[in-house]
Amino acid sequence: MKIFLPILALFTFALSDLIQAQDVSQLTAQCAANAGDVMYLKDFVVKLDQGTPGGAPPTARFALLLSKNVVYRFSICSAPSSDGEAVLQLFDMNTLLGSTFISATGKDFPFFDFKCQKTGVYHVFISFKEGKAGEGVGIMSYVKKL
Amino acid sequence: MPKVIVYLLIILAVAAGSCKSGGQGKDAGSEIPDSVLNEGIEISEDVMQDIVQNISSPVEMAAMIKDLGVPYSNRYISPTDRVGNLTTSYQQALNLGIYAADLGYLNMYNKTSAVIDYLTSIKTLSDAIKVGQFFDFTTLKRLATNSKNLDSLMYISVHSFNEMDKYLHSNNRTNLSALMVTGVWIEGLYLGTQVYKVTPSQQLAERIGEQKLTLDQLMLILENYKKDKQYAKLLDELQLLKELFKSVNIRIEKGEPEMIEENGMLTIVQHDKSIVEISPEQLSSIIATTEQVRNRLISL
Repeated sequence: MKIFLPILALFTFALSDLIQAQDVSQLTAQCAANAGDVMYLKDFVVKLDQGTPGGAPPTARFALLLSKNVVYRFSICSAPSSDGEAVLQLFDMNTLLGSTFISATGKDFPFFDFKCQKTGVYHVFISFKEGKAGEGVGIMSYVKKL
Repeated sequence: MPKVIVYLLIILAVAAGSCKSGGQGKDAGSEIPDSVLNEGIEISEDVMQDIVQNISSPVEMAAMIKDLGVPYSNRYISPTDRVGNLTTSYQQALNLGIYAADLGYLNMYNKTSAVIDYLTSIKTLSDAIKVGQFFDFTTLKRLATNSKNLDSLMYISVHSFNEMDKYLHSNNRTNLSALMVTGVWIEGLYLGTQVYKVTPSQQLAERIGEQKLTLDQLMLILENYKKDKQYAKLLDELQLLKELFKSVNIRIEKGEPEMIEENGMLTIVQHDKSIVEISPEQLSSIIATTEQVRNRLISL
């Protein structure tokens, strides 16, 4: 019995890791499919802890190279088990270009299209509303050439 | 009770073996004897966030070329009959990227009959550098036999490539990831420049010119491994292109982004504009040098 317990713990740990990887893979595939009739290019998987009260919400940041004359689609999906709702924002240096959540109107969008006119490095930020904890995935897709 | 333990151990071994997240286990790449594997550097999380995620996509150049209405040609892709000669992880990772770009091009034009050869080559190379677990060859092969499965084929192909790249990053094998990305980039540039020779267009000229920015990012990453003579040689090759791209001018016209909500969909229109100034002479030099560099890389 003494030997059995550590093995069981190890087994549970390995199995939970495997299940988690499959969940993420399924969420990514689902989110890519939800993006519509577009071509998947990249995913951004995030797992963020809850933020501290009064502090900035924990945020994952990804640098991207986008090309001129291309319409890109940025989608966001939260894992069903997440406390918070994921928000994806696109920045050019310090300028916010687009977001899946418009705070002024309180509206959420599952995705937004970005008509890129300038080739360069951009940043995608993913966080959860009110700094809650959560898991999610952002998807970048190719829509069409402008 | 001992029987239960034996069963649990077997299940555990199977689960661990099939685990795709891979972050917990021993780095399989350490079994590869190449000197390149010793050149891997650990990159901090902060620095990782500033490394461009999509330096080169295996499908973006092909998508643009298809959107331009350019017909398919098998002259633009690298032959698969040389896979057996690729014996070092350096060659394997670089050519994995090259074939991934070719696969993207084939998929884009729905050339399912040729796809199988490229899937097989990618499977061989990805297994060789121990990232084959991310390449679902059986599913891809099945999808490739039916032209109606193009969307799934595209998704799984690109996603598999991204997963291999992520795995290499998270297992301190960024050196091999850098090679894969270099392979994708050079093959994409080769495709773009070869198409330009036959079907020139302003948009394609601009796309070629703006590779100056991608090349800068790529060389920045490869510089980390230049102590290894193979990487140093690769950098020398890319330097030939960098010299030519130096005279390509990219200027920016500023403008405010515009947000449009229509039928419940949100679109952001950028009014900043990059303008690529590239002359026919500069293009000719870049086309010729790209061809030389790419052909040298595939003949390694």
